[in-house]
Amino acid sequence: MSLLLLLVGACRGAPSRADDTLRLPLINDPIFNPLLAPDLGSVMINKVLFPGLVRPDELLRPTPDLAVSWQAAPDGLSYTFVLRPGVQWHDGAPFTARDVKFTFDRITDAKSGSRLRSDFAAVAGTDVIDSLTVRIRLSTPFAPFLTLLGYNAGMLPEHLLRNVKLTDATAFNRSTPIGTGPFKVERVAPGSSITLVRNDVYYGARPGVARLVFKIVPDINAQVAQLRAGELDLITIEPANLGSVQGAENVRVLEVPVVQHWYVGFNASRPMFASAVVRRALGFAINRDAIVKGVLKGYGDLPGGTIPVALKDFHDFSAPRTPFAPDSAKRLLISAGWKTGADGLLRDAAGVPFTFELLVDKGNPTREQSALAVQQDLARIGITMNIRSMEFAALVRDRVLPATYDAMLIWWTTPPDPDQYSFYHTGQDNNHVKYSNRTADSLLALGRITADTAKRREIYRALQQIERDDPPVLVLFYPREIQAVSARLQSVPKLGIRDALRRSEQFRIAQ
Amino acid sequence: MRCDEVSSSGLRSSSTVIAFLLRRLAHGLFVMLLVSTVTFAIMLASPGGPSLLADPKLSVVERTEIVQRLGLDQPPTVQYTRWITRAVHGDFGRSFLYQTPALETIGTRLPATLLLAGTSLLITLVIGIPMGMLAAARRGSRFDRLVTAASGVASAVPVFWSGLLLVLLLAVWARWLPAGGALTEGSDPGLVDRLRHLVLPALVLASTGCAEIVRYTRSAAVTTLALPFVQTARARGLSGPRILWRHALRHAMSTVVNVIGLQLPRLVGGAAVTETVFAWPGIGRLGVEAALGRDYPLVMAVTLLVSAGVLMASLFADVAQMMIDPRLRTA
Repeated sequence: MSLLLLLVGACRGAPSRADDTLRLPLINDPIFNPLLAPDLGSVMINKVLFPGLVRPDELLRPTPDLAVSWQAAPDGLSYTFVLRPGVQWHDGAPFTARDVKFTFDRITDAKSGSRLRSDFAAVAGTDVIDSLTVRIRLSTPFAPFLTLLGYNAGMLPEHLLRNVKLTDATAFNRSTPIGTGPFKVERVAPGSSITLVRNDVYYGARPGVARLVFKIVPDINAQVAQLRAGELDLITIEPANLGSVQGAENVRVLEVPVVQHWYVGFNASRPMFASAVVRRALGFAINRDAIVKGVLKGYGDLPGGTIPVALKDFHDFSAPRTPFAPDSAKRLLISAGWKTGADGLLRDAAGVPFTFELLVDKGNPTREQSALAVQQDLARIGITMNIRSMEFAALVRDRVLPATYDAMLIWWTTPPDPDQYSFYHTGQDNNHVKYSNRTADSLLALGRITADTAKRREIYRALQQIERDDPPVLVLFYPREIQAVSARLQSVPKLGIRDALRRSEQFRIAQ
Repeated sequence: MRCDEVSSSGLRSSSTVIAFLLRRLAHGLFVMLLVSTVTFAIMLASPGGPSLLADPKLSVVERTEIVQRLGLDQPPTVQYTRWITRAVHGDFGRSFLYQTPALETIGTRLPATLLLAGTSLLITLVIGIPMGMLAAARRGSRFDRLVTAASGVASAVPVFWSGLLLVLLLAVWARWLPAGGALTEGSDPGLVDRLRHLVLPALVLASTGCAEIVRYTRSAAVTTLALPFVQTARARGLSGPRILWRHALRHAMSTVVNVIGLQLPRLVGGAAVTETVFAWPGIGRLGVEAALGRDYPLVMAVTLLVSAGVLMASLFADVAQMMIDPRLRTA
């Protein structure tokens, strides 16, 4: 014991901060392949290693990256990209149109194990025009196409992966990935860290730090401790963690609106939730302001419909926020045939009380506390909501997919595009709430084939109008991502961490 | 000195030993088979299934493809038969989460865990046994009460809590030691850097085991010190320390050795938590990730590896006990 203490003493003050290195956490060991990896750890690091044709700016609009310009055909059925000249892969090989074709051929190949297939289901084929010009053909106009290009569609090197099945390229996927990003892999220590070094031939601005290290730290409390000890530079935290970083002199807290909507989804195939009036009434019963202030500690925005404020071009800022009006809620419910019994509980014509079960995933304090707030608000108007918390995977697979649930408290994270066709169009696979509204269907369908931004804005404005009368889900709030950063981190792109990593060359630290 | 005479003589006959080892080996294989069946059954029956399929954004087609690719559309008996047939040939399948062979994935994590668990066990023994012996020798003294109380606290406090507390105290506040990881990334880590990273997790992991060893050693030694042979030794005029460290220790060890053998499961269980708190790249955390992600091949491989380790440890404990206690050699 004393020997150990001696060791501690001897090393106190040893320079543990090797200076020009930025350290970020990942919650799991990544797979270095943007086509294969659905987990958060992989998604994050792949945004650094594998740039796409475009990337989002701070307004989340697509801007040039590996493509310097593009032209959409008038019928919206093809896009022609002019690629940036002189770009090199991390191994020195030139990046060309053949790589783009290779990547899209793999993305759309059912046998490749690609996880981007549904994002790019509209892609019909890719033609190499010359070494720096490539045309991507679509089977139908698809407005979110450019946004999706800048989301997870990193480019892969044809010269290295041409002859292997993507899922079998273990060396590439696990230890020696080759991309075109501002940092390249130097060392991979499984379970521990991935060390990236500055790519000196990066085509963009010179990366601001010499090294970017991703440390695998799955536990949020451990991440907070490491940030405070100066061993991490940027972490994203839950409101519940604010207390442990506020007041620490070497930590700053930043916030960024993210493209998410958190909601209570009612299973519309259950008779009690089939009526639009009932769903609207429940919306009035919830004190969202109290949830944003109390549970989110102010790090969230009050909602209108399902399109969050982070989508500045499409969110309807002029529309009123859903009011907290328990009396109106009750009136609406009574108009829908519910009656208040002597015990104050709402009952239907047959005398059966308004009772249902809300599913929430175990372990996330923000969602668990929000569920309690909803429970209390509904109790006030005579509705009994029982909360059942389950592991996320079990919740999704055992209850949500087979639609054997009454209600769930969950969220959608989407690419920075207003398209929500797969969530709320009648009969779509991801329409887990079984929402069905003819007008909404046609707007959702029209919105995804209309390329013109002004026209799209009108379409989604109309959709948000519909959502006020017939809400697909009860939107609770749009969260802001809370970033706790070390004081020495000087420049951080004003974006959610995932999108910020698409601009990793902009990070700077004080020397 | 009877004890000394016995220790210098070898084991009675080598054939007895071989028979013993063979019996244990057969027994071990049977246990492993049982463990694999039970684990497989629990895994398939547990709610949720592989986390790969829990993504609410997957389309029905994509979901079906994943199920088919992983062979999850087969009946459980078929899946198990296929798994065990391959496992017997040394193929434990590919991890769902990492897309690498399960054994290879484990291989990259094993050294870190061996280092952590080994260091912990060493700390446990080096601190636990002397403390227990001294407490027994000075039974009822202030020292004894202190050791007993400390071991009570150490075994009652959850590793998760004490780990975070130590991190806050020694890493965040005092800045003496790093808060996590196995080395300082991005620099060229030397031996000192690695040792500094090892200190906290090893101490935390050792704490509960150490408390247990202290208590067992103390009670075994208390019993031993009351035995006639100790009285005889005293009557012969042997010094107190000589009696304690040469005669009583050896006698007490025959029971304590078993407890040491039982430390391995505890180390593995504790490692899962300790490795998470300290972001230590070991097998405990890998096991947790595999279980949470329902990564069937990885769960099976980790479980079997740990079972094999536990069986080996108990075998070593038995052999060690035989060497210490001559009465067991003919059993």
